[in-house]
Amino acid sequence: MNRNDKQTIIFGLLGACMVIVVLTLIIILGSIIVNGIPMLSWDFLTRSPEIDDTGAQTEGGIWGPLVGTFYLMMLVLGFAIPVGVLGTIFLVEYLGKYSWNRILWIVINNLAGVPSIVYGLLGVALFVGYLEFGLSLIAAGLTLGLMVLPVTMVATREALEAVPQSLRDASIALGATRWQTMRHHTIPYSMSGVLTGIILSMSRAAGETAPILVTGVVASAAIPNSLTDSFQAMPYYIYILVTQTANVDRAYAVAWGAALVLVGLVVGMNLVAIVIRKRYRKKYKW
Amino acid sequence: MVIPIPKIEVQDLNVYFEKNHALKNVDINIEEKEITAIIGPSGCGKSTFIRCVNRMNDLVLGCTVKGSVTVDGKDIYGKGVDAVEVRKRIGMVFQRPNPFPKSIFENIAYAPRLHGFVDEEGKHHSYNKQQLKEVVEWSLKRAALWEEVSDRLDKSAYNLSGGQQQRLCIARALAIKPEIILFDEPCSALDPIATAKIEDLLIDLKKDYTVLIVTHNMQQAARVADRTAYFYLGELIEFGETKQIFERPEKDLTEQYITGRMG
Repeated sequence: MNRNDKQTIIFGLLGACMVIVVLTLIIILGSIIVNGIPMLSWDFLTRSPEIDDTGAQTEGGIWGPLVGTFYLMMLVLGFAIPVGVLGTIFLVEYLGKYSWNRILWIVINNLAGVPSIVYGLLGVALFVGYLEFGLSLIAAGLTLGLMVLPVTMVATREALEAVPQSLRDASIALGATRWQTMRHHTIPYSMSGVLTGIILSMSRAAGETAPILVTGVVASAAIPNSLTDSFQAMPYYIYILVTQTANVDRAYAVAWGAALVLVGLVVGMNLVAIVIRKRYRKKYKW
Repeated sequence: MVIPIPKIEVQDLNVYFEKNHALKNVDINIEEKEITAIIGPSGCGKSTFIRCVNRMNDLVLGCTVKGSVTVDGKDIYGKGVDAVEVRKRIGMVFQRPNPFPKSIFENIAYAPRLHGFVDEEGKHHSYNKQQLKEVVEWSLKRAALWEEVSDRLDKSAYNLSGGQQQRLCIARALAIKPEIILFDEPCSALDPIATAKIEDLLIDLKKDYTVLIVTHNMQQAARVADRTAYFYLGELIEFGETKQIFERPEKDLTEQYITGRMG
């Protein structure tokens, strides 16, 4: 077998894998869109889930879960992300040269891979139990916050480390303090990466089921009025629908509709991230 | 006869990075409004030395500086001296051009906007828009870049060529109105034509500034420097007038390096 034949075989193999990968993507997105679109209507988006005569929660729309998921994302944005981003800035810019820092980051990288139900367990123990928040929006929001903290931190660190040291040196040599150097240079230059990390974290928080399952999501909860109320959420509602035994056809149809909205939400946020990144890249190019 | 006080007086300077003894008992006097070149093989402590003069080594973890570096009669490593204040009065230009990813104007205006200026009565002011424009124009002219960029001050500094970027960095350093400028191998990333322009500029800057330049390029030292210091393995081996160092070195080590038998 000469080398051209070898190449033909390898290329055939690679091509086949590529077809499988692309087809998978098309099938996933396609089935969500094809099955979900018939459900979309103003009523579907603005009415909360209702119970039909068999007792299955398949009537109405997805308003309650949508609001719950939005609240969760806002809690993550309000608590975990600022702490994660600002803490990482300090860790990287002020303490980055210490050798223990590297060990710390190995731990953080590993935490990013810990299964989400483990964070759920931690959330139950810490927020629901020890801090006595009960099964509530705040407990679930903080649990999701803990879960995305490593993701936020890793993204922030990568963004900061992408800024060349020579730019920091330039600023310091001009007589700027380290804080001025961070505020005028390092932080703005790394903003695109940081914002991408923030949005990634929020979309992960939007999609997770396990941590909220154990910290306060309730299928029939009303729209929460306070942080200590229980709530509904999109991924959990999909879970409820898929595990429904009565009126299965209707339940699946609603689940596809909800899935389409959830995926749309996440894709939409990622698009925002891409736009922001492009704008910053254009502004600060080196 | 008045004995001139050296602009920079370095006494018994020792620098350690952790346990690595990077500079050993360096004594050297840098004269005002001259160009002093620092030469020597890689790892001899040239850059470490120059970074002691504006306390850039402070930022390196595990770096200890002992001895004194006196600028205008004041020890910059003395008690209560703020390193940031030291750097405000000393310009520095690095190996690779490192303009900020901003416009040409903003690159120069950054430090003046940060520091403001002190008038004749010692009062502190911020630059207004017009004054800022003047400083930018003055700095660019002084760095021989004005004519090439005056019509595109609002364009990104990264659109400039490497040599232009380096002159921009010089202009940026001039904008803080220093009396001393440190150059850390400023031409190592540049082509010969851009290098020649920087060298002309260095000689021109000597009229107003005390210049310290680290260079790998011995011909460059011979061309621009009034005095040359030869460092080897962290020690100052020989220091004298450039002509003497290159034509009649007193130490064997210097001669070996100059004649290309070492380094």
